[in-house]
Amino acid sequence: MKKQLIESVMKYIFMLAATVSILAVALICAFLFINGVPAMHEIGFFNFLLGRVWAPSDTPQVFGIFPMILGSIYITAGAIIVGVPIGVLTAIFMAKFCPPILYRYLKPATQLLAGIPSIVYGFFGLIVIVPMVRETFGITFGGNGQSIFTASILLGIMILPTIIGVSEAAIRAVPESYYEAAVAMGASHERSVFFVVTPAAGSGIMTSIILGVGRAIGETMAVILVAGNQARMPTGLFRGVRTLTANIVMEMGYAAELHREALIATGVVLFVFILIINVLFNLMKKRGQQL
Amino acid sequence: MKKSIALILVCTLALFLFAACDDGSSEAPAYGNPSQDTPAQDTPAQDAPAQDTSNFDNRREIIVVSRESGSGTRGAFVELTGVEVSADGNTTDMTSPEAVIGNNTNAIMTNVSGDLYAIGYISTGSIDNSIKAVNIDGVEPTPANILAGNYKIARPFIVVTMDGLSPVAQDFLSFIMSQEGQEIVADRYIPVDQSAPAFESNRATGTVVVGGSTSVSPVVERLAEAYQEINTGANIEVHATGSGAGITGAIDGVVDIGMSSRNIRDSEMENLYQQITIAMDGIAVIVNNDNPLTNLTMEEVREIFTGEKTRWSDVH
Amino acid sequence: MNLKPISAKAPPLTIKAINTTSYKDRLLGYIKHPLSGLLFLIVTVAALVTFAVLLFIIGYILIRGVPHLNLSLFEFQYNTTNVSMMPAIINTLIMVVLALLISGPLGIFSAIYLVEYAGSANRLVKIVRMTAETLSGIPSIVYGLFGMLFFVVTIGWGYSMLAGALTLSIMILPLVMRTTEEALISVPISYREGSYALGAGKLRTVFRIVLPGAIPGILAGIILATGRVMGETAALLFTAGSVAQVPDSVLGSGRTLAVHMYVLANEGLHVNQASATGVVLLVLVLLINWLSAAVAKKIVK
Repeated sequence: MKKQLIESVMKYIFMLAATVSILAVALICAFLFINGVPAMHEIGFFNFLLGRVWAPSDTPQVFGIFPMILGSIYITAGAIIVGVPIGVLTAIFMAKFCPPILYRYLKPATQLLAGIPSIVYGFFGLIVIVPMVRETFGITFGGNGQSIFTASILLGIMILPTIIGVSEAAIRAVPESYYEAAVAMGASHERSVFFVVTPAAGSGIMTSIILGVGRAIGETMAVILVAGNQARMPTGLFRGVRTLTANIVMEMGYAAELHREALIATGVVLFVFILIINVLFNLMKKRGQQL
Repeated sequence: MKKSIALILVCTLALFLFAACDDGSSEAPAYGNPSQDTPAQDTPAQDAPAQDTSNFDNRREIIVVSRESGSGTRGAFVELTGVEVSADGNTTDMTSPEAVIGNNTNAIMTNVSGDLYAIGYISTGSIDNSIKAVNIDGVEPTPANILAGNYKIARPFIVVTMDGLSPVAQDFLSFIMSQEGQEIVADRYIPVDQSAPAFESNRATGTVVVGGSTSVSPVVERLAEAYQEINTGANIEVHATGSGAGITGAIDGVVDIGMSSRNIRDSEMENLYQQITIAMDGIAVIVNNDNPLTNLTMEEVREIFTGEKTRWSDVH
Repeated sequence: MNLKPISAKAPPLTIKAINTTSYKDRLLGYIKHPLSGLLFLIVTVAALVTFAVLLFIIGYILIRGVPHLNLSLFEFQYNTTNVSMMPAIINTLIMVVLALLISGPLGIFSAIYLVEYAGSANRLVKIVRMTAETLSGIPSIVYGLFGMLFFVVTIGWGYSMLAGALTLSIMILPLVMRTTEEALISVPISYREGSYALGAGKLRTVFRIVLPGAIPGILAGIILATGRVMGETAALLFTAGSVAQVPDSVLGSGRTLAVHMYVLANEGLHVNQASATGVVLLVLVLLINWLSAAVAKKIVK
């Protein structure tokens, strides 16, 4: 009997542990929404989400995060433009063109890229990429190197491991018969890979892009050091922007009352963006399984 | 895996052994100054840094560098120079939207020293050889000129606290306002009390958390070091987080003493217990060492920092 | 009569594969079909770019930082002249231990429940999986925000290592859960069946038979989580603060190596020391990741 008791007690302890993650998500949602949504209401939902001016130090305070939403979107789009072609092509190389001897070293190398902390990336961007951009483009386009362009390059590099990893797995998962059929019809190795195998891995590649987008939107440390952080509507590829994440970090230290709640509301917006991306991701996975 | 890591590291080191040879000479001082590993000199007198103004291209645009919106230095600067406009109860900070934002005094100095075409503003007490301070209306930003009232851009250093300070925090405040403390202030700033009494410690022990303005923190750090030598049982923590963070932190109870480099607003004072002015300080407009600029009028300062004048040719 | 000595090894069978082409033939083929050649070229260039970038980043940080690694950077007391990273390293170790102490048992017990006790169609399991996935997607700054609101302000701890550790433990919980689950699943069912057949109860089976078999995988996951904790900055800025000393208690504030590097990079005064800190951070994190992969391989063996 005692053994039965211990067994059931332990079962409930394990179950309790499992519910911690539910508790955590509930807590996070609760705190963010309870602190953020009333602020959005006080500022006015449309004034907050679509307002083009962010001026917490003026009297009266103005809280419009549209410049930051655009900043996040532009930088993420830039990262996708930089990271996806290189990432997908590298994945194709590693899955279909790489000699096995080389592969033993290249695979761990991509995982190395994934392990580098984002602050190291940011620091690298600050002391290498920013001066490079400033010297090359500053004369014609102005600006001091910290810009959408720089941030896109840096973020593109950062999402490479995600895209390469998932895309490569997707390409490898395509049945060998697809490739063999194409080659049997007379297509060259390259044509078979590009026009038969890769499209078949399409949903997996889309998944990797969505994961990359999720990573890029949430990136803080790297962006804060290279994007300029001007809190205004983006004015050009070689001008700086501020992302939603950078806005929170820069001003949280000294924000008070409504300002602080506005920043929490910014966190809520970020959270909702990520949830939408998660839903998209799950939809894509389901579609991929149904195929 | 061992082999792969070793291979990569060896290849990397080999490859860049050659690149590293070039790195020193051809790399323009694009970020930071190699001579900046030591903190600012304590002596206000400095040798004029070696200048090379020959590369300066007037047609380039002015890169305005500003502090973050919670900065006391920024708050004081925009008010004193007219960058902030007030109209029937509303104030608007008209700092150029293109301005690069630096989070603290050192970030401004790094930005300006690393960019030939940048202009910014910092506390006069933080000036060192890496940047050059310009005269305003012909007046040099020295403590003497600030005291005499000739240098117009000046503001107080204020500490704020809530009620119920611990004995050791009380003691530290007394030290700052004592003769020894004001002597340390007089080193690079203007002391507020020329005839302060000598210091007697109450030997209280404990930790004091001080947080706030990055302009004030250098002098408070020096004060803390000197105080801890007298009262060895005390531990003073100094965080340089910005004036806004210091005031908010004091109200929230995150810090015991908040440092501010601008006047405390009435709305903030409602939540605080006391404010004490510990020094006067000026704000200097700084440019790169290789910038030929030496003087600006107040009007020009305003026009540059609001973005009305965009190129260096507009200023000379 | 030629008697060949009997060798222990049989002569190797060489089978020439059918659809491999020699390099010469491939090159000729590209001239005939230029599109294929072009495709091969862009794929190789892309791969070259990726690995060149990796080499460049790691190489640059190493080259920039290693010359400035000197003993003063490792003194135990931090002051503004030596900008020592030793307190930051100690704080990082403390943070790792605290975060693992909290999330390790939680994650392992959750995974045990999900794998051993509940059927996969169970509603609770579905919800737990969904929330764990959500948790892993939340950006670190949102964690920092939550940690500040909940632990620092509401509970009232102020900037403290404990607040930082609790925030981080929520962040790495999904990672620990997922890797432990995979490790538990990889233990063959026959182990469990054999144990039940011998009369052992579920608890004893789990703790004496299944867990020991899954230890390499669990260890790999924990080591991976350690790497994640070490590289984390945004979540710690507003929870553990950025005091450059080792705190007297877990309720005191302290900066980890990554936060230390951020503060140095932000101030811009000590670029060389920041590079040196970057080297230490990079080497630590890469070592940890490599260790995790090495331990995980043991499962296959």
